[in-house]
Amino acid sequence: MLDAIISTRELLGRVDELLRTQRVIGPVRRDVPDATPPVRWFYEPVSSARQLDLGFAYCVYSPKQYLLPPRETLLEFHRTPDGFSARPVSDAQPTALIGVHPCDLHALVTLDRAFSHNGDDEHYQARRRRLLIVGVDCGKPCTPGVYCADMRANVADEGFDVMLQPLGAGADVERFGVRFGSPRGRAWLEAGGGCERPTAADERAADAWQERKEASFGRTLTTAHEDLPAMMARSYDSLIWEATARRCYSCGSCNLVCPTCYCFDVHDELDLSLQEGRRCREWDGCQLQDFALVAGGHNFRSKAAARLRHRLMRKSKWIGERTGGKGCVGCARCDRACTARISTVEIYNQLAEEV
Amino acid sequence: MPRESVLEAGPVADIGAMAASPYLPEAARVLSVRSLTAMERLFDLEFADGRALGHAPGQFVQVSLLGIGECPISICSSPTRPQRFQLCIRKAGVVTAALHALRGGDMVGIRGPLGRGFDVSELHGKDVLIVAGGLGLAPARSLIQYVIDERARFGAFHLLYGAKHPSELLFREDLHAWRDDPAVDFHMTVDRPDEGWRGRVGVVTTLFRELPPLDPQRTVVAVIGPPVMFKFVLLEVLARRIPQGRVYCSLERRMKCGVGKCGHCQANDVYVCQEGPVFTYGRLKALREAIE
Repeated sequence: MLDAIISTRELLGRVDELLRTQRVIGPVRRDVPDATPPVRWFYEPVSSARQLDLGFAYCVYSPKQYLLPPRETLLEFHRTPDGFSARPVSDAQPTALIGVHPCDLHALVTLDRAFSHNGDDEHYQARRRRLLIVGVDCGKPCTPGVYCADMRANVADEGFDVMLQPLGAGADVERFGVRFGSPRGRAWLEAGGGCERPTAADERAADAWQERKEASFGRTLTTAHEDLPAMMARSYDSLIWEATARRCYSCGSCNLVCPTCYCFDVHDELDLSLQEGRRCREWDGCQLQDFALVAGGHNFRSKAAARLRHRLMRKSKWIGERTGGKGCVGCARCDRACTARISTVEIYNQLAEEV
Repeated sequence: MPRESVLEAGPVADIGAMAASPYLPEAARVLSVRSLTAMERLFDLEFADGRALGHAPGQFVQVSLLGIGECPISICSSPTRPQRFQLCIRKAGVVTAALHALRGGDMVGIRGPLGRGFDVSELHGKDVLIVAGGLGLAPARSLIQYVIDERARFGAFHLLYGAKHPSELLFREDLHAWRDDPAVDFHMTVDRPDEGWRGRVGVVTTLFRELPPLDPQRTVVAVIGPPVMFKFVLLEVLARRIPQGRVYCSLERRMKCGVGKCGHCQANDVYVCQEGPVFTYGRLKALREAIE
């Protein structure tokens, strides 16, 4: 059921209205003529709603950087001869994230859960409370090789303030079906007076659109979604880990692009005065050689095979069991980013063949 | 014309909103620093505001030198001695090297106590066997002191300690005191003796020969040491038919955030900084990465 209908023109007007008071982030098209593929999209700040390309295929990086920046300052401190003073800081600012596909909406829910499980991470939550999330439905697999449908992440019922469903096709979408996920989402969109009541024809068109979407997704994963954790549990001692790790460079590209990877490192920076400084956190990756190294030299995950297994166990089993969020949304960014052409879904399928 | 944002809150202008940051250390004063070995020093600390640490034996803290970094250190004193808390710190990296340069009166940052230590109420009324190897004696000492201070609450108390070399023996004053204490059945050994060594030689598991028969129904065991030690000590313990739910192990991992988020300390799916560092063997054996 749709809550409202809004024209593209009215919608962009509402985004421009947001831009008067806050930062707006959305998919921006970048043409890279000599590269493959020659067209790419990135979540970037825009200065006008016209810069958004809501018909984008996929963004190279997930929007996680706007909740968990690649690098952020946690504390500012001042050292004195007889001690120190330190204060937590945040540069969180009101931000609207416009144009998030269902897979990334699921991933944002995963992050929300991770940073509230066993106590809030206030630095994350300060950003989250200031984030308006507007989803846009994708309509079909954005590229061959995605397995979002296998992960039940190609449709989103939560994780947004407003969800938009294009009515029509291609770049000529003139109207969107709207579902509201929060009072503040509704308040924002309705304030312009441009929302219409959906007609019976609109509902039929939306249903038909959803049916076409569902039919367009094939299945890549040979294990049923609900059986994946148990299959992985049986695969702990598989030789596939070592066989795959022979190709793995432990570069951490998969961690970097993964919308549900959130591990981080913490380090200090000191100004030349040696008095003022910052404690910062930075993305880290469980595939990197030193991730589990302790002082004294013992590395609790010194082999690439163990690190590969650790990452996929988190994605397919542990994150879900721990917080209920999806550890993997099937976006295939890891497969695209892998310098050694290792495919996560192919590993799942190889393991399933074995056990 | 300024307008109100559709979002509930504006920029984080006042720091009050961030006061709940789990990463903010509290100021603590170094009361004294003593050298235990060439590598380890013992720090006596108190919070600047005078409050007790309020920890359980086996818990840890994150120690900060702002501008240099933070590292996880287990607490080596018992909560039964709340006037100050003690940390035994091995010089092993950048932060610990800088900590070794501190003197009495210097300030450090402390976050904690963190993690889950020993549930001492589970230990009350039982015979206690503590097996410590190497630097594992530091966290073990928080429990050893507890048992000694609350001696009437426990049955027999056996304590086994193994070090690589006589020069690496920690807490020498304590070792003498435990040896002379009739209420402590204390045995120690070194792997490699030097010329002056008159004590036992061999790995820590050889000390099990010194133990009287243990009553599996009323004995609890704590095993704290380097990764290589666990398996062999556990074999000795299990051979004496101690139930796995009453065998506790303390794990070392790279705790970075200390609040179950950053991922560094994970043993399989478990965040050691949250569920541990103290686990029952019954729990640990399901964690393949815990003991390998």
